Amino acid sequence: MFNLIRRDVILQKRQLIIFIPFILFFIIMGVPPVLTFLVSSIFIPFNTYAYDEKAETNILLNSLPYTRAEIIASRYLGAIVYMILSIGVTSLALFAFNQSFTIADVAIGSGLFLLFAGLTFPLFQIFKPGYITTVILISFVILTLIARPMISFIAEHLTAITDFIANASILALYTGAALAILTVYVISWGITTIIYQRKAF
Amino acid sequence: MKIIISNSSKEPIYEQITNQIKSFILAGELREGAAIPSMRKLAKDLQVSVITTKRAYEELEKAGFIYSIVGKGSFVAEQNVEVMREKKLRVIEEQLSAVIANSREMGLSLDELQQLMKILYEE
Amino acid sequence: MENVVELKNVTKKFKDFSVKPIDLQVKQGFITGFIGENGAGKSTTIKMMMNLLRPDAGEIKVFGLDYRTHEKAIKQRIGFVYDGNVFFEGLNLKDIKRIVAPAYQRWDDALFYQYVEKFQLPLNKAMKTFSKGMQMKASLAVALSHHAELIIMDEPTAGLDPIFRRELLGLLQELMIDGDRTIFFSTHITTDLDRIADYIAFMQGGNLVFNQSVHDVAENYALVKGGLDLLDRDTEQAFVHVQRASTGFEALTDNIQAVKDIFGDTVLMERASLEDIMYYSKGGVSHV
Repeated sequence: MFNLIRRDVILQKRQLIIFIPFILFFIIMGVPPVLTFLVSSIFIPFNTYAYDEKAETNILLNSLPYTRAEIIASRYLGAIVYMILSIGVTSLALFAFNQSFTIADVAIGSGLFLLFAGLTFPLFQIFKPGYITTVILISFVILTLIARPMISFIAEHLTAITDFIANASILALYTGAALAILTVYVISWGITTIIYQRKAF
Repeated sequence: MKIIISNSSKEPIYEQITNQIKSFILAGELREGAAIPSMRKLAKDLQVSVITTKRAYEELEKAGFIYSIVGKGSFVAEQNVEVMREKKLRVIEEQLSAVIANSREMGLSLDELQQLMKILYEE
Repeated sequence: MENVVELKNVTKKFKDFSVKPIDLQVKQGFITGFIGENGAGKSTTIKMMMNLLRPDAGEIKVFGLDYRTHEKAIKQRIGFVYDGNVFFEGLNLKDIKRIVAPAYQRWDDALFYQYVEKFQLPLNKAMKTFSKGMQMKASLAVALSHHAELIIMDEPTAGLDPIFRRELLGLLQELMIDGDRTIFFSTHITTDLDRIADYIAFMQGGNLVFNQSVHDVAENYALVKGGLDLLDRDTEQAFVHVQRASTGFEALTDNIQAVKDIFGDTVLMERASLEDIMYYSKGGVSHV
């Protein structure tokens, strides 16, 4: 299992070279730390999928002594491992550039990443290879487009919810969000495993 | 142990192997107790399938020419090469008697027959 | 005799193709050649043996174990070579080894480098720069370096030049000196099998036509040639397929004894090559 997670580094050695300048670029451009954390976390796990959407890769992995559940587990656990590493690297870079960020930035960045990963990982198993990048791109654009109107819609019409959120303590809010995101992530893991178990290569 | 396999021969490959090993044993070139190559090694050397050499060895075993010990290999049976030779000689004697009978029938002399034999033998 | 792979009543249905219930045993310590035209169901069967594809019904056992409970244990003992490169194209052989090796308990680095040297493979060049033959050699080096007991290969010789094909067959024979090792490989180049295969499994249109030792194949199947006057509804029963020409007929039989009984010396009988068997079996008596 650890081997499966480690393979991503071997696989992406070259891409990792552009990883650092990429983060630096974000920092220099003054992108909010939350977004920098999010994007840097996405980097490795989603690059892995770019490799794994190829049928050959699945044939290889499934011919090696791994179970299908392990292969999927390595993706979900790997995403967390690489997220932590990316956040570490990004934090160091931010320190180096003397830019301030808060624990809240880290928490929100990683929370958003896990949510995004949880929502998109099952899609990789449903859509045919080749379409996945397009699907993710489109859903990303749609999400950003509708996010703002949605939030204002919620703010205007669902006052009960906004009131609750506004009144809740910061701690309760964070705990609630963390639990919700974790639930989404675990459910997503389960669904992806079930889909993957049934796949034919 | 020199074995030559012909692919164009009508004789199945396993029979070619069997016959050649038999003649080695009968000619005394392979002595009692001598180890012969494992069937897998022989298959590789002859570039034939394992099942072919396996069958050849089985036939040889059945005919009492060799015996196999699991894990050790195959050996030339401590057999009565003498008896074998005698058997073969008896067959040859019978065949020659028939030839001689035929020759007498058509009035072929011993000299003529020997000459014919000589030519055929050296061919 | 132990069967390394055992398929019992296995079926798999696709939209436009299906594997009929098949029973197939792969014998330990031997090379089984898996033949059949393209699309006969060979790859599907191999994929089911590797658990890349699950059968709709039936039972598959490898080393006597079931994939449902022993997937990892089974795959630890299998070496695989597929038609085409399944390794990451952008990686070199060294990195591929780094990914694959830790997966196997019995990985043997020294053995791997021995094969790399033997096959003259570059360690630092990306797989995508390899020729087809080199990719095959690389797959083979990986497949052979963890002391696999069962080596499954899907069309390993397709697209290879004759010289390397011979080398490969020689290498396989070398592997067979170890009596515990079993090789199962599919090919549609039947001449590959003439010398090295012990058993032949023949698939056609999703059916397993036979799985016999090469001796049984040679003793059952033959090409029969003779005059057209010998053929009638009854005598034709002895043949799998008959091809008629104005000069006479040529037919395939799977029952040499029956042909001898019916025709005696009036026909000429010749050894049928695997290609003959595949070609004539495709016709089938009903289409004559």
